[in-house]
Amino acid sequence: MITVDKLVSHYGTHKVLDGVSFEVKKGEIFMIIGGSGCGKSTLLKQMCGLLKPTSGHIMYRGRDLAAMDEEEMSAMQRTIGIAFQSSGLFNSMTVGENVAMPMREFGGVDPQLIDELVRYKLSLVGLAHAQHLMPSELSGGMRKRAGLARAIALDPDLVYFDEPSAGLDPIMAAGLDHMILKLKSLLQTTFVIVTHELDSIRLAADRILMLDLGEVVFCGTLEEAAASQVDRLRQFFDRRADDFIVQRNISL
Amino acid sequence: MSECIVLCPEILDQDGGAAMYKALLKQWSRRNTSLILDFSATESIDSFGGAWIIKASGFARRKDVPFSWKGQRESLCDFLEMLAPSLQSSPPEAARSPGPLESLGALILSVKDETGEFISLCVDTIYWTLIAPFEGRGFRFNAFMDEVHEMGVRAVRIVCLMNFLLGLIIAMLSAKQVESFGIQIYVANLIFIGFARELAAIMTAVVVSARSGAAIAAELATMTVQEEIDALRGMGISPAQYLVTPKLLAMLVVLPCLATLGLISGVLGGAVWGIFVLGFRPFMWYNQTLESAAMDDIMQGMLKTFFFAIAIVMIGCHNGFRVKGGSRGVGLMTTRAVVMDIFSLICIDIVFAVIFYYILG
Repeated sequence: MITVDKLVSHYGTHKVLDGVSFEVKKGEIFMIIGGSGCGKSTLLKQMCGLLKPTSGHIMYRGRDLAAMDEEEMSAMQRTIGIAFQSSGLFNSMTVGENVAMPMREFGGVDPQLIDELVRYKLSLVGLAHAQHLMPSELSGGMRKRAGLARAIALDPDLVYFDEPSAGLDPIMAAGLDHMILKLKSLLQTTFVIVTHELDSIRLAADRILMLDLGEVVFCGTLEEAAASQVDRLRQFFDRRADDFIVQRNISL
Repeated sequence: MSECIVLCPEILDQDGGAAMYKALLKQWSRRNTSLILDFSATESIDSFGGAWIIKASGFARRKDVPFSWKGQRESLCDFLEMLAPSLQSSPPEAARSPGPLESLGALILSVKDETGEFISLCVDTIYWTLIAPFEGRGFRFNAFMDEVHEMGVRAVRIVCLMNFLLGLIIAMLSAKQVESFGIQIYVANLIFIGFARELAAIMTAVVVSARSGAAIAAELATMTVQEEIDALRGMGISPAQYLVTPKLLAMLVVLPCLATLGLISGVLGGAVWGIFVLGFRPFMWYNQTLESAAMDDIMQGMLKTFFFAIAIVMIGCHNGFRVKGGSRGVGLMTTRAVVMDIFSLICIDIVFAVIFYYILG
């Protein structure tokens, strides 16, 4: 569904991604993992077309994102859903209006159906009661779920989700993981999720990609990850601190 | 007893759902006592189809009859199970808009709350400004200097330019009015007295409130939204001490200075018109201006600037602390602060006009 080939990305002179290549298959939950600052969110933004690569290609449905003009990019972005880490809800609109916004703006939805569609999407994420609330009245977990409801408003084939479980309690985080699995089976949606929550990875991931210092150190299934001897991957799954942190703690 | 059974199409998407709903409306009669959707021919349903099913269930609810479905394939069971919560209850209602009496009551309560909060902020600020420094409790001198630079030094150019242009305009207007009487030299008196008593102070205060008043409200509102104010309180630091006092003291220092510069600029603006357009000799215009200059007029104008300074800072801070919601709230409170600032400036000016022109004569 998406092929990333030798992607290089910079912030100013700082290289964030260095020759990243992988493929996301249709209908899978593909998780991008790695330590803080390794380039996960940058990679996600590149895949959404929110950032331009320095070099390399991101092919989506056979088209290179880097070669698209603004209009083509907008059209492409309408076919995907993006759920942001801090939800990205519009504060001036109710939750229901937030979910209805892509339906109204992008057309193609029968206006008399929008209200029912909003209720359905909100009930899918367990927020049917929150339709008329303002985003500022929601808890962190509810905001994330409302952001997900907006992302799936138009039944996109592909949803990008940045750190769905970050800042949530374990019960809420598990609920969100189950919801993602449910949506995948129900709507046949492909999910690309940036996370570093081990429990979420073990529960929901079909395949994982691990980044370290902007490079791919592993790409494969959970079984392959369990058998892998890649040191950084082992360290990640075993929750082992870097040596210098261990030494520093000992010296303290 | 009769059931209304509607056969759903093979693909229940947006179009298929619309056809199903149309068929339902056509088939429905008053004698029907239940509504059943028949999915025996349906192979797939998408979200739009789901929304049409919700619409059909809403129809049944309005008619007060039971709603159900039958004949669904194994592959659709999960989808229909997920849809069930949306069908079980009527949609949540938006908050009812209050009646006139409720609105009046809410307005009175909100004015009472707001007044209380404003008074509390003023009391805190008076303590941290006037009393605490003498008790040896912290005064943030560096923050004060930063505010003086931001509110004062950086506002010099715009304040001077606005007053200069206003002086030019007033000279232009008044010279035209007195042209036929041959007393255009008295425009110099008018400009000086006008700027000294009213215009320099009010014009400068308006420019500063639009510039710094808005900035204060936006800064504090953003800090409130991002829980920085709670963080301050959590550390046992009073926001009035840490944030309001340096701004207030800085404004009390810079606004009279800016108004003085505004007075000089306004008088210069009038002089430019008098000398270069009306053709008076510079010395003559200068003498006429000096002749009209009275310390009382200047003091009248300057005294007001202290009250303007207090109003601009306290209203900006008060609105910043009261923000609710996110970015939208920040914008609303900033706008509100500027509007309240300008309104209060005019009110203060009216009070001083009554005191100086009628009470003190």
